[in-house]
Amino acid sequence: MTAQTVQQGDLVTVIGLEVHVQLETDTKIFCGCSTEPTDEPNENVCPVCLGLPGALPVLNEGAVEAAVKIGKAIDADIPEETRFHRKNYYYPDLPKNFQITQYDEPICADGELEISVEGDRRTVAIERAHLEEDPGSLQHVGGGGGIDTAEYTLVDYNRAGTPLMEIVTAPDFRSPDEVRAFLAELEEVLEYLGVFDAERDGSLRIDANLSIIPEEEIDGDAEEIDGDALEAANRTEVKNISSHKGAQKALAYEETRQKNAIQRGRAVEQETRHWDESRGITVSMRSKEEEKDYRYFEEADLPPLQVSGWKAEIAIPELPRARRRRFQEEYGLSEEAASKLTSTKQVADFYEDVAGEFDPDLAATWVADNLLGELNYRDMEITEMEGRLEEVTRLVELVAEDEITAKNARETVLRSMLDDGASPDEIVEEEGLGKTDEDEVQQAVVEAIDENPGAVEDYESGDDGAINFLVGQVMQKTGGSADPGDVNQLLRAELEG
Amino acid sequence: MSDANIFITEKSIEGDGDGPLAGTTVAVKDNISTEGVRTTCGSEMLEDYVPPYDATVVSSLKEAGATVVGKTNMDEFGMGTTTETSAFGATDNPAAPGHVPGGSSGGSAAAVAAGEADVALGSDTGGSIRCPAAFCGVVGIKPTYGLVSRYGLVAYGNSLEQIGPFANTVEDAAELLDVIAGSDERDATTRDAGDETDYADAATGDVDGLSIGVPTELLEGADEGVVETFWDAIADLEDRGAEYHEVSLPSVEHAVEAYYVIAMSEASSNLARFDGVRYGNSGGYEGNWNEAFSRAREEGFGDEVKRRILLGTYALSAGYHDKYYKKAQDARAWVKQDFDEALSEADVLASPTMPVPPFELGESLEDPLQMYLADANTVPVNLADLPAISVPAGETDGLPVGLQLIGPAFGERRLIRAASALA
Repeated sequence: MTAQTVQQGDLVTVIGLEVHVQLETDTKIFCGCSTEPTDEPNENVCPVCLGLPGALPVLNEGAVEAAVKIGKAIDADIPEETRFHRKNYYYPDLPKNFQITQYDEPICADGELEISVEGDRRTVAIERAHLEEDPGSLQHVGGGGGIDTAEYTLVDYNRAGTPLMEIVTAPDFRSPDEVRAFLAELEEVLEYLGVFDAERDGSLRIDANLSIIPEEEIDGDAEEIDGDALEAANRTEVKNISSHKGAQKALAYEETRQKNAIQRGRAVEQETRHWDESRGITVSMRSKEEEKDYRYFEEADLPPLQVSGWKAEIAIPELPRARRRRFQEEYGLSEEAASKLTSTKQVADFYEDVAGEFDPDLAATWVADNLLGELNYRDMEITEMEGRLEEVTRLVELVAEDEITAKNARETVLRSMLDDGASPDEIVEEEGLGKTDEDEVQQAVVEAIDENPGAVEDYESGDDGAINFLVGQVMQKTGGSADPGDVNQLLRAELEG
Repeated sequence: MSDANIFITEKSIEGDGDGPLAGTTVAVKDNISTEGVRTTCGSEMLEDYVPPYDATVVSSLKEAGATVVGKTNMDEFGMGTTTETSAFGATDNPAAPGHVPGGSSGGSAAAVAAGEADVALGSDTGGSIRCPAAFCGVVGIKPTYGLVSRYGLVAYGNSLEQIGPFANTVEDAAELLDVIAGSDERDATTRDAGDETDYADAATGDVDGLSIGVPTELLEGADEGVVETFWDAIADLEDRGAEYHEVSLPSVEHAVEAYYVIAMSEASSNLARFDGVRYGNSGGYEGNWNEAFSRAREEGFGDEVKRRILLGTYALSAGYHDKYYKKAQDARAWVKQDFDEALSEADVLASPTMPVPPFELGESLEDPLQMYLADANTVPVNLADLPAISVPAGETDGLPVGLQLIGPAFGERRLIRAASALA
């Protein structure tokens, strides 16, 4: 493609992803060391994950189970048998100077994931997903702080051997927004499967390939691209992305950068670029590395694994997309409310508990708006409420049974529960929020106003006598127990307010 | 250290209590990890490496009450047929002074031949137990791939190699095999050998009715004196009731090429970790880490190791992978198939272990190709994952000659029974 012949309007962005997901298993993929993050360097290590001479890998079935769950969730083919290969390259964080990974027989192939972007549904093809081991991590000290400029570099092998799933998509994305939607959906799915901990540092690492190609190279349905056109266009690989928000920003930057280059008649270099999160830009990695030859060959220390039986044996829970649809149908929720309530499995499970006991609408207001809203305000996650969800249920019960007002429940009890850790009954007791006769009179006042719009209109147009009619209504509702003078004042306050 | 330079490290490691090997001394090849005792693989690269853990076989020795007397000399990382590529100097052959003890487990075979240990452990990737057993006039067993745990054995060609015993008699070797055999949760390639796993019991010397297949290809080009000694041993077995017939293994013509391509490819990857960061000399180099790795490897490895790493890297490279590595795998499958067929017509197969008697010290070091061809009779067995034993068959011109018997997978008992008729 020559830059001169192309106008900006004719350009289409094409993006493909390689997503590395740390699987949440108790132990590493090839040894019994803990995967629990720790501050002490080189604490969770043994001869196997240190790659000591003579040590041998033994496959952790928990990692395979997680991979099979992911395969089922993305509707991938899981083969009869899966094998491991060695990927040979030298890097100081790699204990053996090769990585045990999968090559031509990955555990998952030909999957897909449906996403929605501004109401449009799209299916993203997932070419493959395979298991591999995470390398260690490097800490560059002194000097320029980079791998080639630091005074010295420390190696921490705690991370080495953490199970990773590498998920490779087709070049199916046409915008950074689609990438963000995909990654958010993927994260949700992984959390639902219980194989992923988003809170863990480095649990999601994304490499993205982005090319700009002329629009005419794309067929009518906007999904199929001419492979030659993609081959002809130079692409950049953007590394060091660690979240769906980061992906969106990095790729939006990169898209603009490439389009600007083309518009100005400059060539786009085929290169690897590094996403600098703090500066919000991508930077060219120091040297243009030649095409790497990883000399893949089979890992003889791990016999081929028969996985055909696993697919049937391993169950996966209802996934977010299906649950969202069911929430809309079963509980009559809006799409927005259903989305909020299915954003994590814990939230959705909790909603279903509450909706089972009380009115689904009330439950939705309480879980989606009040609880998540207050948690969000405090930068807290639902996971931090573990063990206290019963208290939230009790609070909803107090509201449902009219023991306290919704306003008090939300503004006083819930906030105090989150801030001070007290239980709802304690707070109601302490703050004296239980409904009294006064509340009853106040409620009758509100009802009388609601039910008699004619009298309200007369009052508002200057007929002061109309107030007497309303006082009568309130007296009736309260069985005559209220003081007419007080009622008169309450009515005037409500009508003026 | 004795004059023969048998041990790299002489160090006594006492076993526990009174197991089956109580009172037995064992020499251990220096590529088998011993906790707290340096394990050099005959390389300068690991001159100071002290493993923090025991190989599974070493734990088994300790539990059996054996006393380890030292770590034996070997070709660097197992790459050699003479023990002369060791960074710690050559070992003399106690059974034929002035000659090499064979390799790569030359120190272990020599330790048994010289009486420095009752029995010994070696490892066999392409003949590294059987060759020195033959050259030193002792018994050596290369077990079926998967019978003995490799956990703690520093890898050279990990799809090919096994740890196995040396002894003066087949029965003693079988007793040691009893201690080290068995599946290990730390080695996923170990397999349950089935019910018949009492090896020492099998050393009855009873060969009545045994059918021996002699692959004609494994006699071609062999030294005349070696062939003569071999047939004398077969005649001896015939006298005791065995019968023999000739069989053919057409694929073995390609076995040496296939073996070296596979072993070197695996070695190029297995030895990649020795980059100067945690082993060997490092630091103080100018340039980036990539250059530092190169310098450390250039300094730390000997010529034969470098040769094999370079050739293996080449064989796995894009554009050559199919021509070499993949073709070698195809040849390997063919060799397996040939052995299966030959063993369907015979109980065991027999050949000279080595086609030549022991070289004189220094004779062969300059010609790697001649060395590689000397492995013609042993490497096919590793390609086929089968068990084999080398027993002393006699002498030619005063030099030891070994007879190799090859059995079906997990047919160690059969081999031990047959070989025990000779030693």
